[in-house]
Amino acid sequence: MRRLWWCLFLLGLPMGNLSASELSLSSEIDRLIHANGQPEKFASAANDEEFLRRVYLDLAGRIPTHNETATFLNEKSPQKREKLIDDLLAGPDFPRQMAERLNIWLMERRGENDEWKKFLRSACEENQSWGEIVRRIIKPDDSNETTRGAAFFITQRLVSRGAMAPIDVPGLTRDVGRLFAGVDWQCAQCHDHLTVDDYYQEDFQGLHTIFEKVATRRGSKFPAIDEILMSAPQEFMSVFIQEPRTTPPRVPGGSEIPIPEFPKGEEYEVAPDRKKRIVGVPKFSPLRELANGLTTTENKLFSRNMANRLWWMMTGRGLVEPLDLHHTGNPATHPELLDLLASEFAAHNFDIKWLLREIGRSNTYQRSSQLPDESETPAPYEFASEKRLSAEQLFWSVLIATKEFDRLAEPGQSIEDVVAASKDLQTLRETFVDTFANPPTEPEIDFEPSVKAALYLMNGDGVHKLIAPKDGNLTHQLAKRSDAELTDELFLAILVRRPTDEERKDVQSYLAENEVRRESAIQNLIWALVSGTEFCLNH
Amino acid sequence: MPHPRCQIADHTLSRRRMLGALAGTAGGLACGGLLQPTFAKELQKSDKQMLLVWLDGGMSQLESWDPKPGTQFGGPYRSIPTSLPGVHLSELMPRLAKQMHRFSLVRSMRTEDPNHSSGVGKILRGHPKNRGVEYPFMGSAVAKLLGPTKSGLPPYVWVKPGNGGFISKHAGFLGAKYGAFALGNGKPPKNLVRLDSITVEDDLARNALREKFNRRYAKRHPPNNSEAHSYVYDVAQTLMKHSDLFDEATLSDRDRDRYGRTDLGKHTLLGRRLIEAGVRFVQVQSYGWDTHGDNFNAHASRVPKVDQALSALLEDLDERGLSERVLVVVMCEFGRTPRINGSVGRDHWPNAWSLAMTGCGIRPGTVIGETNADGTDIVGERYDIGALFHTWYHAIGIDPTTTEFMNGTQPLPIAHDEMQPIRELLS
Repeated sequence: MRRLWWCLFLLGLPMGNLSASELSLSSEIDRLIHANGQPEKFASAANDEEFLRRVYLDLAGRIPTHNETATFLNEKSPQKREKLIDDLLAGPDFPRQMAERLNIWLMERRGENDEWKKFLRSACEENQSWGEIVRRIIKPDDSNETTRGAAFFITQRLVSRGAMAPIDVPGLTRDVGRLFAGVDWQCAQCHDHLTVDDYYQEDFQGLHTIFEKVATRRGSKFPAIDEILMSAPQEFMSVFIQEPRTTPPRVPGGSEIPIPEFPKGEEYEVAPDRKKRIVGVPKFSPLRELANGLTTTENKLFSRNMANRLWWMMTGRGLVEPLDLHHTGNPATHPELLDLLASEFAAHNFDIKWLLREIGRSNTYQRSSQLPDESETPAPYEFASEKRLSAEQLFWSVLIATKEFDRLAEPGQSIEDVVAASKDLQTLRETFVDTFANPPTEPEIDFEPSVKAALYLMNGDGVHKLIAPKDGNLTHQLAKRSDAELTDELFLAILVRRPTDEERKDVQSYLAENEVRRESAIQNLIWALVSGTEFCLNH
Repeated sequence: MPHPRCQIADHTLSRRRMLGALAGTAGGLACGGLLQPTFAKELQKSDKQMLLVWLDGGMSQLESWDPKPGTQFGGPYRSIPTSLPGVHLSELMPRLAKQMHRFSLVRSMRTEDPNHSSGVGKILRGHPKNRGVEYPFMGSAVAKLLGPTKSGLPPYVWVKPGNGGFISKHAGFLGAKYGAFALGNGKPPKNLVRLDSITVEDDLARNALREKFNRRYAKRHPPNNSEAHSYVYDVAQTLMKHSDLFDEATLSDRDRDRYGRTDLGKHTLLGRRLIEAGVRFVQVQSYGWDTHGDNFNAHASRVPKVDQALSALLEDLDERGLSERVLVVVMCEFGRTPRINGSVGRDHWPNAWSLAMTGCGIRPGTVIGETNADGTDIVGERYDIGALFHTWYHAIGIDPTTTEFMNGTQPLPIAHDEMQPIRELLS
């Protein structure tokens, strides 16, 4: 009996039956957020519908299907949220969505490549540590067919785009700093940063010199690079203080990499041969040193950068913003929390799933996004922030909302299978990316609605085809329902929630006015919800 | 002097917070937010508009606004007298010569940057002092300062050869939404026309439903995302109502001939129509002026296109009474060297070049400054682009000494704060 009580007690705990160290992070998150805020102003916990949609978008990259919604809402277990988080992280959607997200973060819409996709996908399927992923990007292994596409990160940035835009090694250097260390050293290329105390020119130059010795491999069928022998430190000069200086290669957040000296003729593992067009493989690989030095658990820039980005992904707000401007003059809003997230992330071998799970379990993540009081703009974390849906999230979600997925899916088919089997849907996916993504090199951080997207939703035929009545799709199903049933199902299917009383009245009076043309009216209702603000935000 | 590469935004504040600062009413998107509220209201009433003709690559001043015939570097073309006694233009500009009394020239431009990549940005930003932030291009700045007109059309439209789309980069620290709405090859944006399968009634009904649901959502959430989202639909619907702007069938043969059936001619004509329809700031772009080789033949073929399009534009703006409130500026990132290089070309020359302007209270028929006999240097006072930005802001009713941008909490001057307008140009 006593034992049973003990079990019930454990089940009743918000964290369930976790080990002590894991128990601490999500509750520590809440403790630190509480300590820096005004808890009496905090919004209440998100209701099940709000939580369900949010966690599906964050961890599955799409809204839940009708069945998934019903299952969760009918589930009575007090642990159902924790269980859903675990199920989604273990489910088949997670690798797809995480790979899409990493692709957007890392390539910033610079183009697509199948080998690169394969690399990201396998990394997310195997839940490779972030350290491992970055090592493969920085020092790609061309002998590994699954991961060699990682070189696309570098090769795509070394593409020359006409005489006005030559190969941009400084741009690549900048992006490595921004995306893997959270530091934008652009201004430090030519001088120590003017307004940021801890961005030095030697930091930039020390990283730049590594990429100056990288060449894209010509004629390769897959993205590949070669390293050119580095034998001397980089010379540079500030535009303000015209004194020549030198730096060996440097690791952001780490140390200098000494350049080893080899007797002449012994610098290479594989000697270059111009006649045979062999570039050669130097014994000293600055890329390997960089890959290893960057991804150590001691490298604070590395762990803080990704901890902050994963936190931003889940909460819609970086502890440090902009995400790529970590420095002493721009401290985190919650410095202790960032330190903790970063050190725990490192201690757990940069396990992305683990960190997402801990954040997802926190009350901070599970707070409502509805404003407690209309008149006041709340402070960060008093309520859940709205997040932009990526073009991909929108695409998968539209297929589910309009029940195009239900209509086409054979038993056991995933949404990816359905799209893979349809040329039209593949085209639609491309159109969505073209329409809703930012232009190349613009990070997708904020919600930036565009006239182009509005025109597409109004007058493009893609979404209209999904709304037109077809056996088994939402329009078709709703037409068979009573007005009251229709209203509930409409909102549940598209917005993953039941309508409010006001919305019920809105819908039902509109249906009553349009009784004679009910099918058009239903399509108008679906369109209005799909193209509305609520649908294109994760809140 | 800041290094040419060092121009990327320092992001002292995140863009998210910038957008947060823009919250407020829908007017916040158009105008308010970054300005003192009372001032913003006054500006919203403004009916001033602006059309910028940008000759990308750098037109030669010697083959256009500031000819030096018969001199060492003068080149083969003669100069011709104009409607303004004592003022001559290149013979490649016969139509504009007849209208010289309608517009004004500055022949004493001296700017700093001889590179295209950085120079274009510097001129279009008015080259303010480097404060570690990326300033907006003029179109974005005016879109911010004056907002859209009552027409509800996008405030900054860029008519250009090549691709269209929304070019957010022009907006700098103002935030993406002040970017350029670019009409590639003068073509309308995609999906401008309602599908045949949707009736007008259904279109109205579903948009009304969308707005109704949005309002309910906005009540329970912070307003800025909802407002931004509604705003783009409003602009999209306004554009749809103006789809005839892009319908070439609505153009008269006479207009097409007057402006010239060239890219520049067509785009300038579209620019006029966009101004008439109520776009706040139109930039008409012409590429290919970088004549390092064969400068004279290139200008013989290109300058007459400018001559034709601009003279038709001037006539039309005058005829329609628009010149009182539409400022027209014609410029490029720099001029071209007097020295003629080995390929019979002229190179980049920010040291002594010219630009033209008219309308909106700019005193017509004014010629500011002069170059020496060979055109190699400026005689007397010289002007950097900052002085011109002061002048143009004054012309469109914005006082740069009292108006500031706010980058988060950081106030920033809208034009170089050590420069002054050119008083002789302002009436």
